[in-house]
Amino acid sequence: MPARLFAARWSRWLERRIPPARQVRLDQRRIFILPTPQGLMFGVALLLMLLAAINYQNSLAYGLTFLLLSLGLVTILHTYRNLAGLVLAAGEAPPVFAGEQAGFRLRLQSSGRAHRGIALGWPPAPLQPVEIEADGSSEVELFLPARQRGWLRAPRLRVESRFPLGLLVAWSWVDLDLAALVYPRPQSGELPPAGGGVEDDEEPGMASTRSGVDDFQGLRPYQSGDSRRRLHWKAWSRGQGLLVKDFAELQGHDLWLDFDSLGGDREARLSLLCHWVVQLAGHEQPFGLRLPRVTRAPGSGALQRDLCLRELALFGLPANPAEGRP
Amino acid sequence: MSHWTRKASPAIPRISLLWLLVAQALVILPHLAHLPGWISGLWLVCATWRIQVFRMRTSYPGGLTKAFMLLAAGVGVYASRGSLIGLDAGVALLIATFLLKLVELKTRRDALVLVFLGFFVVLTSYLFDDSLLAGVYSLLPVTALLAALIGLQQSGLSEKPWPTLRLAASLLLQAVPLMLVLFLLFPRLGPLWSVPMPGERGTTGLAESMSPGDIAELSQSSALAFRASFDGPVPPRPELYWRALTFEQFDGRRWSQLPEPPRAEPAWQAEGPALSYSIVMQPSGQPWLFALDTARTELEQTRQMGDFRLQRRRPVEQNLLYSVTSWPQARREPQASPRLGVALQLPADGNPRARRWAAQLGQRHDGNPQALVDDLLGHFAREAYFYTLKPPLAGDDTVDHFLFDSRRGFCAHYAGAMTFVLRAAGIPARVVAGYQGGELNPAGNYVLVHQFDAHAWVEYWLPGRGWVSVDPTFQVAPERIEQGLEQALPAEDAFRAGTALSPIRYRHVAWLNSLRLSWDSLNYAWQRKVLGYQGEAQLELLKGWLGQVNATRVALILVAALALLLGSLALLLLKPWKREHDPLLRLYQRFERLLAHHGLRRERGEGPLAFAERAAAALPAQAREINAFAQRFAWQRYAGTATDAAALRRVLKQLRRKLPQRRWWGAGALVRGTRREV
Repeated sequence: MPARLFAARWSRWLERRIPPARQVRLDQRRIFILPTPQGLMFGVALLLMLLAAINYQNSLAYGLTFLLLSLGLVTILHTYRNLAGLVLAAGEAPPVFAGEQAGFRLRLQSSGRAHRGIALGWPPAPLQPVEIEADGSSEVELFLPARQRGWLRAPRLRVESRFPLGLLVAWSWVDLDLAALVYPRPQSGELPPAGGGVEDDEEPGMASTRSGVDDFQGLRPYQSGDSRRRLHWKAWSRGQGLLVKDFAELQGHDLWLDFDSLGGDREARLSLLCHWVVQLAGHEQPFGLRLPRVTRAPGSGALQRDLCLRELALFGLPANPAEGRP
Repeated sequence: MSHWTRKASPAIPRISLLWLLVAQALVILPHLAHLPGWISGLWLVCATWRIQVFRMRTSYPGGLTKAFMLLAAGVGVYASRGSLIGLDAGVALLIATFLLKLVELKTRRDALVLVFLGFFVVLTSYLFDDSLLAGVYSLLPVTALLAALIGLQQSGLSEKPWPTLRLAASLLLQAVPLMLVLFLLFPRLGPLWSVPMPGERGTTGLAESMSPGDIAELSQSSALAFRASFDGPVPPRPELYWRALTFEQFDGRRWSQLPEPPRAEPAWQAEGPALSYSIVMQPSGQPWLFALDTARTELEQTRQMGDFRLQRRRPVEQNLLYSVTSWPQARREPQASPRLGVALQLPADGNPRARRWAAQLGQRHDGNPQALVDDLLGHFAREAYFYTLKPPLAGDDTVDHFLFDSRRGFCAHYAGAMTFVLRAAGIPARVVAGYQGGELNPAGNYVLVHQFDAHAWVEYWLPGRGWVSVDPTFQVAPERIEQGLEQALPAEDAFRAGTALSPIRYRHVAWLNSLRLSWDSLNYAWQRKVLGYQGEAQLELLKGWLGQVNATRVALILVAALALLLGSLALLLLKPWKREHDPLLRLYQRFERLLAHHGLRRERGEGPLAFAERAAAALPAQAREINAFAQRFAWQRYAGTATDAAALRRVLKQLRRKLPQRRWWGAGALVRGTRREV
């Protein structure tokens, strides 16, 4: 397919010409410029005016036509200048769950002059306008839909400006090495009957973890994903709503989230695990995660949560965002 | 306005709307002089409507209303112009569209169409008035239109009217040098097809026929007819008889030119010194040009007619520049030709007294026409004839009444009566109409000829000598010829009747007069140098500069000049010598280069802190400085700490001092090698 061939060649060429970098300064190597449809319309209008000038042999009409033509030429410089010298730097991109919008923070910095009417984004989505004052900087957050877990590598970013007259568009495709980690889409569901405590039989010291459910702590409202077996039916029959028996696990009686103990395909299991990691971490309950080839020791808190989610996100995928590049 | 519509069609920013309204007023202002009056009303309605829409007091007109308005405008143009074709009607329609577009101005695309239409309307205004003032004025609407165009762009400027205007003006200013180059070098072609010209503009001037009162009427107009600059000294005033056309037919009341002026070029021989001069004519709506006798011009589509006038194929509808060479002492048609019969035509009857007198004169000077002419002129000089703009009304026999009863008349009376008598006496003669004299402008050393300089004189034919010009008015009022009409008619206020507001009325106020003449000389230069810069003039100028002129050469020079100008402008705008790099980045690059000397290169995608950590591990002795630099850089760069390049520079200096002066390359390789093992 020639179009696809061309696209591939184009992206290879871009790769050489504007190599990925966390920070890019736009200069003549990186800026392209062409007339916009409005610019072409302007050209047609100029042609009509020139015809009128020729037919009426009118020097002033020639003058006006040439003035506007010169204006078009001068605008090339201005449109280019408006983009040149702009420094784009990648900021952080917080991880998201699949199905959400991944946000990428960018910092646009002026290296002297003001940059007006800059727009950036990933077409065909509408570009986001931004202004940078002279010697100032602006922050933008751009969003991409996160469809799959793993590293979401942002494609080349289009930066463009039509300022001042809208007759020309100067643009660049920059690759700021933007990548966001996408966790699996959380899918509520039950853990296996063992209550997530599928213990490792080869570790005798942990035999008692199975009874982690014994330390009854109290009742709390039902949340989706809670095991039905923990429902407090008596309370429900008394009309107190759905309550769940809450258990506190003792130190050493760790909860293990085990990939192998679940049914369903890989992604479904990861989604379920993801849900439980979020749930448990939200309740400050310590837990461990066991995936084929990877084991994360029990722990609690935000760090544990993030590390576990990261393992889930990257399970079976390259760990380096650069390798995930298409 | 719902969110949905805003997204589908980007609305027009306030500033753009403001500038569009201003631009529209500026664009149509010069047109008002020739447009039907209701156009300004239409503008008021449209502008008010659009402003009310903006203030959300009313809504956009519906499709039916718009169609009705368009139809009404079309009918209005037809009613006031009598047609929908032709330049006047076309421009009126264009402007009506331009105004009506305002009320349906919703999207940026609409605004863009309006701006481009505006440029075109400005251009059409030049067809009606291309004076220096009109040209300078048109920069105002163009700037406002550009400001509107800038306002359409989504930018931080779109809320500020003055910076927008300033940017528009500065863009225009930067475009001027390029425009001049294009103007000078772009080849001027002839018209590609014939186009409608501006119609009736109420031009005054000589007409195809003349009754005695016509020239008197013309003499009340202080409008300019043409300007002439001579290559040598300007000839004295009494020698400036500018021929326009001849009247060879008399019906008893009116003198008129022949229904079909003789096209065959007359026989004549140049004699005596030649005069070279150039003339810039104001539009006259007539095909004939003005020149001193006997003239030759190189102007295309122009020829000398059988009665020695210069005539162009098309009427002069715009200012026209042409150069002429004249031989005042040329011999014109010395041999008799059958054409001479026309110059003897008289109505079958009427004016009996004049005919009788002519017969007497003929008998007295039998066979000596020159003596007869002298006698006739002597008669005007001797007898009590008066030169006046207000002669008494004549009856049927106008010539008789003038010659024998009233004896008061204007140049046309004298020329008409003399031609009548000469013809009646058998001497071929005709009336020549044109201008006499002119006002010398010392500021530019050229002659200004106004409509009140219109004049009529006589030429008669002598065997062997050809046509001879003679001016009977000179016998009656020599001061008319030597000093001009105003001096010849000091008592008659009639002269000033039509010039109440004209600066020419205040000629006697010295400073005002010199101001007027300087202004006129500026306008004249504008007409000759700018408006007259067409085919011939361009070729001549380019020849003077380039030696020889051919298409490739001119094209090359045009491109080179444009490239040069754009290049200089680019240097001026981009200031590459200033290297506007971010100071932080520059310092960081220096840091990277410094470490690169020691074999440490930042990996692609490696953050500054990560790199610093690695570098510190490789160069433990300098770890403190490396980390300090990277920390400061990261704070300033990413954490939004205020930029303090000086502090960063200090740390970098410390690092450089601590690093060994020059490491041999092998060490770098070693360091790199160790890193690879990690």
